[in-house]
Amino acid sequence: MRGLIVLTLATCVSAIVGLLAGATWFAPATLLAAFSQHHSDAATILWQLRLPRIIVVAVAGGSLGVGGALLQGLLRNPLVDPYLTGTSAGAACAIAIGVVLGIAAPALPAIGFLAGLGTAAVVALLARRGSGIDANRLIVAGVSVSALLSAVITVVLLHASDMDSTQAILSWLAGSPAGRGWPEIRAAVPYAAVGFVLAVAMSRPLDALRLGDQRARSLGVNVGVAQWFILAATSLLAAAAVSLCGMLGFVGLIVPHIARRAVGSGAFALIPASALLGASMSILADAIGRTIIAPSEVPLGVILAFFGVPAFLYLIARTHRSQA
Amino acid sequence: MIEIRHLDLAIGKRRLVGDISVTIPRGEFVALLGPNGVGKTTFLRSLCGLHSVPTGRVYLDGEDLSVMSIHARAHKVAYLATDDLFDDALLVRDVIASGRYAHRVWWRWDESPDDRAAIEAAMDAVRMTPFAGRRFTTLSSGERQRVWIAMALAQEAPILLLDEPTGHLDVRVADAILTLLRERSRAGTTILCAIHDLNEAAAFADRMLLFGCERMLTCAPPDELLAGDHLQSAYGIAMQPIMLANGQLRVFPARKA
Repeated sequence: MRGLIVLTLATCVSAIVGLLAGATWFAPATLLAAFSQHHSDAATILWQLRLPRIIVVAVAGGSLGVGGALLQGLLRNPLVDPYLTGTSAGAACAIAIGVVLGIAAPALPAIGFLAGLGTAAVVALLARRGSGIDANRLIVAGVSVSALLSAVITVVLLHASDMDSTQAILSWLAGSPAGRGWPEIRAAVPYAAVGFVLAVAMSRPLDALRLGDQRARSLGVNVGVAQWFILAATSLLAAAAVSLCGMLGFVGLIVPHIARRAVGSGAFALIPASALLGASMSILADAIGRTIIAPSEVPLGVILAFFGVPAFLYLIARTHRSQA
Repeated sequence: MIEIRHLDLAIGKRRLVGDISVTIPRGEFVALLGPNGVGKTTFLRSLCGLHSVPTGRVYLDGEDLSVMSIHARAHKVAYLATDDLFDDALLVRDVIASGRYAHRVWWRWDESPDDRAAIEAAMDAVRMTPFAGRRFTTLSSGERQRVWIAMALAQEAPILLLDEPTGHLDVRVADAILTLLRERSRAGTTILCAIHDLNEAAAFADRMLLFGCERMLTCAPPDELLAGDHLQSAYGIAMQPIMLANGQLRVFPARKA
């Protein structure tokens, strides 16, 4: 419980930092004033740019954190992330094709969402065994389908006729919330919310599944049904995240590991902890990306990789030292 | 009580043991014996619904296993598999608490007083209370086995099926595990336990159920089974029974001079 309180406070602090930070830094008093005055420049920046952006980043990061916790528990594999189901590759491929075909930018997140879900469904069907899902087959199917779709993205990039299209595709691949706002939030948040509720509802079966399918079944878990619900929740969360921010790497992989240290491995605490940690890490990384070379931006995915991966490797090294 | 009527075991098209009929009364400790690959694990899995059987019936306390829901089954029978666990974040108490899954309603995530009492009693029974906060993967093989047994005890199922619970354990730990199981059977739990060591089985079990090539050979008290020639037909080697000073029989492979 203490871990969840600390993570909630950390998310609030990250959100405040995210609202203050940008090409133009706000003083705290200016930020407070902007919340009450709707016709100042600061209010415009707050309501039209920073607040929606923070929500976008928080929902994407939190969704990936929860998706990672679900899939790592389901597959009993600490090295998988929610993109393993092919969601990101499917979304990126559809968006790349959409950009080249000249589809209007506002329609791209919805296309990415549907394609991501569709790809996850294909991967899940390929991994079907009996009434449930074969963990090894899911990994092989996910990696194979993702590799195939990545090849398609490369072909599309090579044949993109103009620089703008190439830039737009690369921006999705690098993971950036730039240009996303309230309409995208309204479209993606309901799906992320359904995924989150489903994840919390599946927390007890997930705890039992970590002991192995056979043991879970003998404890009274309907393993097949639980696997499908957990996979559906992961796919909804990952598709919502991809539609908001493109391909954000590493969040889904590292957040559950750090969250486990804070609240233990019980899924009922781990799922909200992963959501809070994913959100706060992503908000902070985005704040760094917006300010480090302002007025230009470094994509969120790049910042997360630069800061998140060394931090994760340090944690692993420290764990090995303490266990030795 | 477990009642098995004309059960045929098979994996795919491979026939294992056929026409198994036996009744194991409440509180009896039965050791399951037979050569490697004969179908002991498949038999145990069949008795808890993890392996579907083409013919035959299994009744748990009078209820037909084939029509029981997964949830109802978990209230009747606990099964301890031999495969290990790789989630290094799980604590000993987490593993034991998982045994309460079937007792908890889905909208309640916190443990009820009944859950806590059952978990603590199970930890106490296997003397693992001091290890409650330890990571499961840091335990020795014997300690892990005790945790799995505690998980099954927390499940509070009247029937306990175990697949080689003393495999890879030294003689002291194996003795402690089997003593614990015998205590549980004396307290009313029906125990069916696959064991490879014939003398270990004879020392602790009330009866020994022996599988041979594609058929059940016998289910008899230890002295009766060890004195007969069923072991030779099951394992394909001659056996030499030896009478101990306390009057109990033990058996060893007969060596040619």
